[in-house]
Order: sequence, then structure tokens, then C-alpha cells
Amino acid sequence: MTQLETFSYDNKIVRDFAIATTIWGIVGMLVGLLAALQLVWPDFNITQYFTFGRIRPLHTNAVIFAFVGNGIFMGVYYSLQRLLKARMYSNVLSKIHFWGWQLIILSAAITLPLGITSSAEYAELEWPIDIGIALIWIVFGINMFGTILKRRENHLYVAIWFYIGTWVTVTLLHVIKNLEIPVHMWNSIPVFAGVQDALVQWWYGHNAVAFFLTTPYLGLMYYFLPKAANRPIYSYKLSIIHFWALIFIYIWAGPHHLLYTSLPDWAQTLGSVFSIMLIAPSWGGMLNGLLTLRGAWDRVRKDPILKFMVVAVTAYGMATLEGPLLSIKSINAISHYTDWTVGHVHVGTLGWNGMLTFGVLYWLWPRLYGTKLFSIKLANTHFWFSTIGTLFYAVPLYWAGWTQSLMWKKFTPDGFLAYGNFLETVTQILPMYMLRSLGGFIYVLGVFLMAYNLWKTAQAGKLIENVETTAPGRMKHIAHKGEHWHRWIERKPILLMVCSAIVVVIGGLVEIFPMLVIDKNVPKIASVQPYTPLELEGRDLYIKEGCIGCHSQMIRPFRSETERYGEYSKSGEFVYDRPHLWGSKRTGPDLHRIGGKYPHSWHYNHMLEPESMSPGSIMPPYPWLLEQDINTDYTAAKIKVLKMLKTPYPKGFEDKAVRILREQATEIADELREQGIEHEDLENKEIVALIAYLQRLGTDIKPKPVVIKTIQK
Amino acid sequence: MYKYILQAAGNINWMAVFALLTFFFIFSMSIYLAFVKDKESLQKIANLPLADDEPHYNS
Repeated sequence: MTQLETFSYDNKIVRDFAIATTIWGIVGMLVGLLAALQLVWPDFNITQYFTFGRIRPLHTNAVIFAFVGNGIFMGVYYSLQRLLKARMYSNVLSKIHFWGWQLIILSAAITLPLGITSSAEYAELEWPIDIGIALIWIVFGINMFGTILKRRENHLYVAIWFYIGTWVTVTLLHVIKNLEIPVHMWNSIPVFAGVQDALVQWWYGHNAVAFFLTTPYLGLMYYFLPKAANRPIYSYKLSIIHFWALIFIYIWAGPHHLLYTSLPDWAQTLGSVFSIMLIAPSWGGMLNGLLTLRGAWDRVRKDPILKFMVVAVTAYGMATLEGPLLSIKSINAISHYTDWTVGHVHVGTLGWNGMLTFGVLYWLWPRLYGTKLFSIKLANTHFWFSTIGTLFYAVPLYWAGWTQSLMWKKFTPDGFLAYGNFLETVTQILPMYMLRSLGGFIYVLGVFLMAYNLWKTAQAGKLIENVETTAPGRMKHIAHKGEHWHRWIERKPILLMVCSAIVVVIGGLVEIFPMLVIDKNVPKIASVQPYTPLELEGRDLYIKEGCIGCHSQMIRPFRSETERYGEYSKSGEFVYDRPHLWGSKRTGPDLHRIGGKYPHSWHYNHMLEPESMSPGSIMPPYPWLLEQDINTDYTAAKIKVLKMLKTPYPKGFEDKAVRILREQATEIADELREQGIEHEDLENKEIVALIAYLQRLGTDIKPKPVVIKTIQK
Repeated sequence: MYKYILQAAGNINWMAVFALLTFFFIFSMSIYLAFVKDKESLQKIANLPLADDEPHYNS
């Protein structure tokens, strides 16, 4: 028997992360509420820095990486120390981790409204911040593995496996997704293009959901649910299967975001099949959580913490059943690009992540301050606000999604689109958007109640910065014959990390590797040419303004889409698209074939005042595009980087790029003047670059739009 | 399409086979684990979250 050792748990770092979770939760949700209001009343688009296109990524980044991210660290720092009977490896690393992460969030909050974005969903931040994230993540990793190595408890509880799996996979995802070449301090070009970029994006995007919003939270569930229920997890054996099956299958499911797109069929099928298989481990985990409460259901009626946790685990079950169903091609044909997806995501985030975070906070906070929760009644009220808020959020969006899809696809008996004007399908669902805003408002109101409750609790107690405790020193374990092999792995954290890495890498390799190395996966189209310098600058404005948040550039091979938008999109059309801009939501129409559809003046007027061209439109106006000059400082540098990535620009093209840009801009400005637009110095304005890009879209495989010009002349 | 891709791919068939084998291995082992009885030890690990001496502030 080894001697008892005295040591302490670091509660202060847990408290700091708890405060950050609460504050960023409120901020992120308020930004989300603003975005929801903007979709009903465009007047809420205040200045160029707070348009929907720019704050939508701010909302997603804030709630995912700031609210949930800090929530993960809060839970991990609390549970890891106690499960391992050891203080965190380094106080300094804990502090660097905390302040570094807050700095990253702050830089996101500054850069995204400024329009500094890569446009890749959930990976919008530019390369200097990406490097910052990688460094802080490594600090977290060293601190976590250092603690694991100096532990006093031999066995690694299943929650820790989930933490390890999360760390390994997020590292892999972050590095591969952000392979990009800097153009300057706040701009970069991804190494992958078109369909390959799309596959890498959704391999990352889906696994951001899987390994940032799910696996670490499952770790928290496996620790905090037994604590709150005061009984061990229902089946530890089931948790073993849950872990290995989940991390192996999850990594494959990304392509279900690209069904019916230009992604090769085999990759789409792979995504669908693995997504459906995911039901098994996900529901295994959910049932394991719910069955932990067997014999304690009477407490669920009274205890708000258990209520939050029960609804969270149930929401996890619902979202992980719905996700695979949405991955079935025939269902995806209806749901994709609609608000159904947004509703689905929010069942997961508001229900699973939000409610589990609240449950953990209510459980943990009084313990940090050595007192009781200020008001159980207020926590119960918060629970109902959260539940009703989630319902008011999700149900109208399901309704909106089905309405959109039915209207998009409806034909008259004569074979014409019943709702040929896309706007009809938008105005129809505005009442649903209003209800959604109400749901979001109720939900965030509940979070304010929680913040007040926690504040009063802290006032009533005193922070126990260090919890003195004792535990026997770690005995060196001697393996014996007939020992369960998994317990052998459990004692070896590095081996567990390597095994997890192998398991997730396999999925990534098999799916992505052939796409990257096999040129024939992306059939070339001879008429598809690289963008002109002016179009490139226009494309960057499209990215800066976050147009991708509402407009797709991917026409699926359905009659309802080819009738509305034109020829379906081919993978060969995107070979020079760095990054790809296929999008995932159609609040406005698809733009892939917008090129040549309208005269330049239509775009000019539409960007100045969307309602002048499309009465009833909810698109915000972009008057600053008419005032701000095109920035050509980095045009040559962009061409250079694109040439490095094998875009076939002629030799020395970068040196004459700005001159060519000016020539095309003058040409477009002249045409605009011919069409009756009077604007001083028009050829230097950003609007001209944007028009050049929009008029190019989707035209490479169709006859050049000479008709409009001819008519105008 | 899939056939075409694999033909064009040349030597990547081993990857599909490797993935299938790993998949089979992981699930077989997981299921095996679920059926192997070692109640006492698993119970000890399952109780790790509850094994601390911190005071309870039950709400």
C-alpha cells in the first residue's frame, strides 16, 4: 500500500472557464438573435460591419468555440483532476490556455465583422488566428496529457477517452482544413480547390460537430450525469462500445453535406451509409445516459440540474436520429438548403450543448463557491425558458423548411414552376422566422436568469481556489495473465491516443486521399478558365460580405432546380475555385448561373437597394460597395499564390494583373453608364469588381451572354 | 462510377480492404468486450466519478 499524498485541485481555472462560458454564451446568443431579427426586418443590418453575412459566422463561432469551447474546458478541467486524483499539470499552462483562448475569441469578434474571413463554415478565421488556435490547442494538450501522466489513479475513466479522442481529432481536422497559403496578413488561399475543397470542408465541418460539439460533451455527460444522479453510469461496457464505434464511424459521415452535388457518387454513398450507421452508437450513448437515472426519476421532477441533463441527452438522441435520416438521399433532396437543417442544428446546440452546459454550471458553480445555489426556483424557471425557447426555435424552422422545399419543387399542371419567383418562397416563411426569433429571445432570457442566479450564488459563498485532498500515490501496475486487454489500454494514455488517432485517420484517408490524388475524379472542362484579376477581387468581396451565408452556388440535378436556375453544376466548373463557395443554405436563390442573367445595371441597383429590383426582398443593401475603391494592393500577390497552386495563368501575368483589372473595370463601368448609371469614378469602385464576378458565374459552359449587350446596343 | 474510380485509382483497393478490416476488428472487439464478464473491476472504474470526498451541495 502506498502512502497517502496530499495535493489540491485547481478550482480557480474551472471558475474562470465557467465565467467565460456564461459571458460568451450570452454574447453569442445575442448575436444569433440579431441575425434572426435581420432575416425578418432587414433594417437590423446596421452598417457594413453588422450585416447578416458578417455576423452569421460571428454567431456560429461565438456559440461553438466561445460558449461550447469554454464549456468543454470548464468541464474537462474540473473532471480530469478528480478522475485522475491529480492537480492540473501546470498552473502556468492553464492560465496560458485560458487567456489564449479568450484572445482567439476576441480576435474572431474583431475580424469577422471587418469581413476578414476564409468563408469556410466553422473555419472562417484567417491564418494568423488559425496558428494561434493550434498553439493554444497544443498548450491544452500538454496540460491534459501532463496531468494524465502524473495521475494517481491507474485507470482512465471513459470520459477521459472522449477527451483524448477529441484532442487528437480536432488537431487533425484543424491542421488539414486550414492548409492555406497566406497572401498577406489577413488573407490566404486554400491549397484545395473546388470539389476537393468541398470534401475537405465538410469532412472538417461535420467533424467539428462530431468532435467539438459531441465527443467532449459526451465525456462531460459520462462524468457529470453520474455525479448529479449520484449513481454510476448504467453500463460501463456500453460506454466502451459507444466510444470506439462513435469515433470510428463519425469521421466518415462528412459527405452527407454534399449529397446531389458535384461530389463523386461513391463519396456521397460513403457519407450516407456511415451516417445511418451512426444511429447505433449515438443511441447507445443516449440510452446509457438516460438509463443511468433508473430509480432516480422521482428526483428529476424536482431537481433542475437533472431536468437540464435529461432534456440535453434526449435532444442528443433526437438530433442524432434526425441527422442520419437527413443523410438519406431522398430526404436530403427535400431538406438540403432549407431551414430544416438550421432547425436540426439548433436542436443539437440549444438542446444538447446548451442544456448540458447549464446543468453542469448549476451543479458545479455552488461547489466552487462552497455554498448552495441561490435559487432553485429560478433555475427551474430557466429550465422551462430553455425548453420552450428551443421548441419555439426549432418547430417554426421545420415548418419553414418543409414549406420552402415544397414551394421550390412545385410545378403547375402545365409543367412550369408554380413559384417561379424565389421571393414568394421567402415571404411565405417570414412568420416562421418571427416565431424563431421569439424562441431565441426566450432562450437567451433564460441564460440571463442563470447568470443572475450564479452571480448571487457567488456572492453568498467564497471561491475555494484550491481544494485540499489526499489520495494514495499511484502503484505501478503489474500486468497479470488473463487480464482484460482493454484495461491494459486504459492504463496507457499514449497508446489510447495513438489508437484513437489511427481509428479516425483511417476514415479520413480512405475518403479524402483518393479525391486528392486521382485527377479523374474531377473531369476537366476545356472551356473553364481561371478568373480574371477583377473577377478575383470581386470574388473576394463576395467572400468578405458573407454572401455564402444565404446563397448557394451548386445547382443539383433536379428538374425543379434546372428549371429555376439553369444547367446543373459540374465538378469541372470549380477547378479554379479557391475556396469553393457552394454554400449550405438558400435564404436567397442559388447564384451559380447568375452570370449574364441580368444586365450590369440590375446588379448595381440591386446592391444599392435590393427592394428596388426585388420588392419584398429581405436582403440588406450594400451601399458602401458603391463608395469604396477596389483594393488592388494584393492582386498580384493573389495571382502569384494561385500560380503556385497550378492555376494556369500565363508567365508574368501577375505583373500586368492590375492593368488588366483596370481595363475590365473601365469596360464594365462604360457599360453601366450606357445602361443609365451615373456615378463618378465608377471604374474604381468595389461594385464593379463584384459585378464582374457575378456576371462570370456559371458562364464558362454556356454561350457567352452577348444577348443582353446586343439588346442594349 | 465507383468501379470507374477504383479502376482509375490503381493501387488504392488495399485502402478499402484495410478500412473494412479495421471496421470489422473494432466492432468485433467492442462486442467481445461487452460480453466478457469482469464485473468487479468494471464496477470500480464505473464508480470513479463518485469516488471523491468533496462535500455535496445538493440542490
